Amino acid sequence: MSVIEVQELGKEFQVPQKDPGVLGAVRGLFRPRYENKKAVDQLNFQVEAGEIVGYIGVNGAGKSTTIKMLTGILMPSSGTVRVLGRDPHKQRVENAREIGVVFGQRTQLWWDLALIESLDLIAKIYDVPPARYKEVLEQFTETLELGSLLKVPVRNMSLGQKMRSELAAALIHQPKVVYLDEPTIGLDLIVKERIRDFIKKECGSKGMTVMLTTHDLGDIEELCQRVIIIDNGHVIYDGPINTIKKRFGKFREITFETAENAKAPTLPAGAEVLAAEERKLQIRFDRTVSSASKIASTVMSQMEVTDFSLSEPDLAGIVKQIYNGALDMEEK
Amino acid sequence: MIHSLNRRASMYGALFAMIPKMFMAYQLWFWAGLVMNIISITILYFFWDAIYANATIISGLTREQTLNYVLLAFFFMPLVSNDLLWEFGSNLREGLMIHHLLRPVNFQAMNYAQQLGGLVTRMAFQLPIMLLAMFLFDMQFPADLNTWVAFLLSALLGFTAMFFFSWLMACMAFYTTEIWGLGVLLEGITIFFSGSLVPLAMMPAWLRGIVLSVPFAQALAVPVGLLAGITPVSDAPRIWLIQLGWIISMWILSNLVFRVAVRKITVQGG
Amino acid sequence: MTRYLDLYWLFLIQRLKTLMEYRASFILGAASTISLQAASIAAVWVVMQKVPSLNGWSYNEVLMVYGFVTLTKSINHMFADNLWTIGRVYIRTGGFDRFLVRPIDPLFHLLADRFCQDGVGNFVVGIALVIKTSIDLGIEWTLPKALMLIVATISGGVIFIALNLITAVSSFWVIDSVPVTRLVFDNHLFAQYPLTIYPRAISVLLTWVIPYGFASFYPASYLLGREIGNLAWLSPFIAAFLMFIGYRFWQFGLRYYSGTGS
Repeated sequence: MSVIEVQELGKEFQVPQKDPGVLGAVRGLFRPRYENKKAVDQLNFQVEAGEIVGYIGVNGAGKSTTIKMLTGILMPSSGTVRVLGRDPHKQRVENAREIGVVFGQRTQLWWDLALIESLDLIAKIYDVPPARYKEVLEQFTETLELGSLLKVPVRNMSLGQKMRSELAAALIHQPKVVYLDEPTIGLDLIVKERIRDFIKKECGSKGMTVMLTTHDLGDIEELCQRVIIIDNGHVIYDGPINTIKKRFGKFREITFETAENAKAPTLPAGAEVLAAEERKLQIRFDRTVSSASKIASTVMSQMEVTDFSLSEPDLAGIVKQIYNGALDMEEK
Repeated sequence: MIHSLNRRASMYGALFAMIPKMFMAYQLWFWAGLVMNIISITILYFFWDAIYANATIISGLTREQTLNYVLLAFFFMPLVSNDLLWEFGSNLREGLMIHHLLRPVNFQAMNYAQQLGGLVTRMAFQLPIMLLAMFLFDMQFPADLNTWVAFLLSALLGFTAMFFFSWLMACMAFYTTEIWGLGVLLEGITIFFSGSLVPLAMMPAWLRGIVLSVPFAQALAVPVGLLAGITPVSDAPRIWLIQLGWIISMWILSNLVFRVAVRKITVQGG
Repeated sequence: MTRYLDLYWLFLIQRLKTLMEYRASFILGAASTISLQAASIAAVWVVMQKVPSLNGWSYNEVLMVYGFVTLTKSINHMFADNLWTIGRVYIRTGGFDRFLVRPIDPLFHLLADRFCQDGVGNFVVGIALVIKTSIDLGIEWTLPKALMLIVATISGGVIFIALNLITAVSSFWVIDSVPVTRLVFDNHLFAQYPLTIYPRAISVLLTWVIPYGFASFYPASYLLGREIGNLAWLSPFIAAFLMFIGYRFWQFGLRYYSGTGS
């Protein structure tokens, strides 16, 4: 039996329509109009024990609606959800004991409490036996480097410190299933790296099943063997990360700002100029053939560079290309 | 000169016009506010009705005069309540104060325009309940034009004095973040010292002395006294002068204190 | 049940620890709510210096009624203040979801999440008023009267909480439930004075429909030895009934929320 089973899952919302202007507002007061919107439609997938699955899609694709149904917050309009064989909404409390949730943008800790106090409370809420709590806490103190944070109120923490605390709070009861919603949002590269490392070790070693939603393809590449991409409430891709990686992960873009007008430089193999505007030079390169540092040094030796930035291919672009049949072509 | 004046007028005008729109966003509040007001005036009415059950005249006031006074004072509460303290508090919390001060409009004048707009809107929202009180509790407005003129001028002067006084109080926001507590504390003081609950005439002399030595009553008890016919209209010029005195002293004091208080952010960079 | 009591205790301890950090805020919060009471009491004092009887009730008797409503309201203020902000602070921000992924009752979690210290000021004022007036009036504290003070305080508090709960559930449908709550809540203002000063319709409303009378007028009447006060023994039943309705309605709202998850 799969840990997560989603069958023909659908969720419809009634969205109130706002008419513009004062008159519209008055009309809305007396006779609100609604429109049905399908946030999720005929969704199917299974997740097996111990899998780390990336669940991705652009904003409004239906990601968080799915997660809310999986965690028992929302009731499906159609189809079924089973997590560890239970209906997460009908058996909300039983389900809640087995799952850990991180909502990247919202805290589940108490803003004014020192971290250790928040964790104590959460351990009580989940009825974690004291000995076990002590053991897990000790272990997290080490792996998440919480030692210096335990006495700090969450309100005084940096974004990265907060996220480490959130992870500790979500996993302190050692759940079987973990939902991570944007766990690295807004973090700098080094912190991201540490968070990913922790997730990989912690969840991997304990055989937790993880669903990860993110906009960061880096998260997916490092953590997941499998991705599910949804758009408009439908699954548009469900398969190994490698296929995605092969097609889209190969390329990076690097943009230089130059002191004088940029002229096309001589580039190493695997790189090409995408655009050369006034004082701006955009280059795409194949990661497997060349590297950012190689490109940068080559360009800098040829002209004076004031600034440069590196960007990953973005999700919206990938989704668009999948629609255009990019993946089908490669697989055939 | 004319051009810049025009530009200013239209800028204040735009701020002024924004306020009713903001209120429209709270339609539910409108209906709830109406019921809440009905409850309040009903209590006022029956409380005073019970008080006058055994007396015809208290401190020289008849039942009708007192009822008229407390009902009118209830409606004109917006004269004494403004949200400068919250305004300062939120501006400082979000670091917008400096931004406002750097704008090419006088910050105090801009706020005055805003609060005046707020007053007009809030009074407009009091109208339905005012009509109900006239209908249910026989509240009377004077028919005499002079009384109205005396009242309106006195109300505007009192409101202005209160604005500068509130400005002074709002400067506390520079020194503490406890805006909510301070606001409620001030509200309690305002309710009593403005004379909204009891006509000043009923207070013992020593208490009346204290009440009249702070500006709250200037914005409510004083103008409403004129409107309710408790204070004769012939007293109006004297009242206006006193109120003008309050305005000038409060204007000077509020600007002095603001100048000192604002250093808190210009020095520390807020 | 004991698990929830244990949990509440823990929540409370943590909350108090936080409050100790903001001592100034704590004191100011208490003082500020007292200032509102002081304004009303001062007004009653001023008037009753001139006229010593409010429809047959002396100043101290009126003050006892006022004290009871302040006391019972403070119970709601201390333990259920989050019902006011559920819409704006929890539901609109999505913070409410946090309660739904935890293995405890979400209503319990909501209420336990924030003990509101601002009610402490009113609690002290309320109990002080009841005791002070009872001394001034020479009331003898018999066992039934002492029992009534406790029963009425708890029942009255529950009546406040239940009515606030029933109205706060509207936050699942409207952006801000505060105006809806105020519509009912503000009726407690009637109960600041003896209900006998109002027309019959109002005292019936405050007894049988929005029964704030049981949170002030009836228990005060009982302590004062007035016959109508015997009705005050009904207050625990009324409180329990309202709470039952409130909880059912809450569950109904919760089902709607799961349907829409706004």
